[in-house]
Amino acid sequence: MIEYWLQAASTYAGDIDFVIELVAVIVGFWFFLTVGIFFWLIFAHRVSRSPRAEYLTGDEEQPKKFITWAHMLVLVCDVFIVWAAVQVWYEVKQELPLENGGQPQVVRVISQQWAWSFVHPGADGVLDTADDIRSVDELHIEVNRLYHYELSSKDVLHSFSVPVFRLKQDAIPGRVIRGWFEATQTGSYDIQCAEICGIGHALMPARIVIETPEQHAAWLAGHSPTQLAAR
Amino acid sequence: MREFRAICAALGALMLAAAAFAEAETGDGGARGRQLFALCTQCHGVDGGGRREYQAPAIAGLPQWYVSGQLEMFRSGLRGQHFDDAEGMRMRPMSLALASDADLQAVSAHTASLPLVPQASTLPGNAAVGSAYYGPCIGCHGLQGEGREPLFAPPLVGQSDWYLLSAMQKYKAGARGYGLRGGDHPPALAQRAALAQGMAGFSQVLASEQAILDVIAYILSLEPSAGGGE
Repeated sequence: MIEYWLQAASTYAGDIDFVIELVAVIVGFWFFLTVGIFFWLIFAHRVSRSPRAEYLTGDEEQPKKFITWAHMLVLVCDVFIVWAAVQVWYEVKQELPLENGGQPQVVRVISQQWAWSFVHPGADGVLDTADDIRSVDELHIEVNRLYHYELSSKDVLHSFSVPVFRLKQDAIPGRVIRGWFEATQTGSYDIQCAEICGIGHALMPARIVIETPEQHAAWLAGHSPTQLAAR
Repeated sequence: MREFRAICAALGALMLAAAAFAEAETGDGGARGRQLFALCTQCHGVDGGGRREYQAPAIAGLPQWYVSGQLEMFRSGLRGQHFDDAEGMRMRPMSLALASDADLQAVSAHTASLPLVPQASTLPGNAAVGSAYYGPCIGCHGLQGEGREPLFAPPLVGQSDWYLLSAMQKYKAGARGYGLRGGDHPPALAQRAALAQGMAGFSQVLASEQAILDVIAYILSLEPSAGGGE
């Protein structure tokens, strides 16, 4: 349902949407039921039809049963929510999957007030070599390919947010935080900072460009420092 | 009813007077310039004298043509969009906060109207040696470091030494004056980008860090002239 309003473009976006929808349905059910009962009680026990209000001390079981049963049902619902959330959390945040038959591509994501910069591995697929491509406010990746990211901050807290991936990860100064994503469709999408980071926080957008293997190879060739120097 | 009409007429006259006053104020950016400058003070200081802890240079008293030109460069990504220019990347979003060209001109005019803030010497350098190195700078920045608008060369006098050092290091490293990078820009901006690229080339003349420090020491020994720039 969320995908109807916000495109989903990563392998785990659907799982995260499922948790959000599950929470929305369960909480929504109890919300509307509670509000409905509340208004029904107001109507049913209006002044013209009811005797004087009665104070329940809680000593007798019978009047409490409607509250007790409801609480138990809510707890059962909580179990479903916790089960779904932990499963997705484990899959997205705890696991760092490996690509079939090899190491995944690693990109470096560096946040600062108020910009994003990125280091892409060049054609050799390895970081910290001469053909690394460094860019500002634009991350280029290949569709249907597993990427690990190394997220850091030069100054204060930031949060690397890619809404179409349903990815949001805080960047903490002094730490390198690793995570992963795998894009499922091509296109150019927003990267945002999701942590208030100073006066320019709202003006800190970047783009993630998801390309086909051919497009990505062409981009790498066109921006590789070693190839540019050779021309 | 008569009183109501009188009040309306008085309010109308007051609004017209306020509009006329605002119109007359545009020389120094007016109220809008002052209002927008509040954003600049966050990093550049209330007096526009710069704050080293933020690596934000002195901007008070810089000519309007230079401030507006640099803001346009930042906005278009011709400055402040290089991996090694952390300070420039911090400034670029601020330039994007200016919603219109009129705002850009207003804040530039206000900045230009501010008095220069004296800058203390913080770096070692030999001004006597630096005077020889300053020779190639004269063509664009002037004999007294006063700057030249036709070449889009800013005044150097009145600027802090740490900022001049940082700017030279960035030019030498290619983090400033990196050209158009294939982008499509209006001719005026493209020309400024080309001149900045020229500065990146000139920066290579100063081969060592000590040479940069010496020429900066010489620039600091020059007397600021009123107005700044031709």
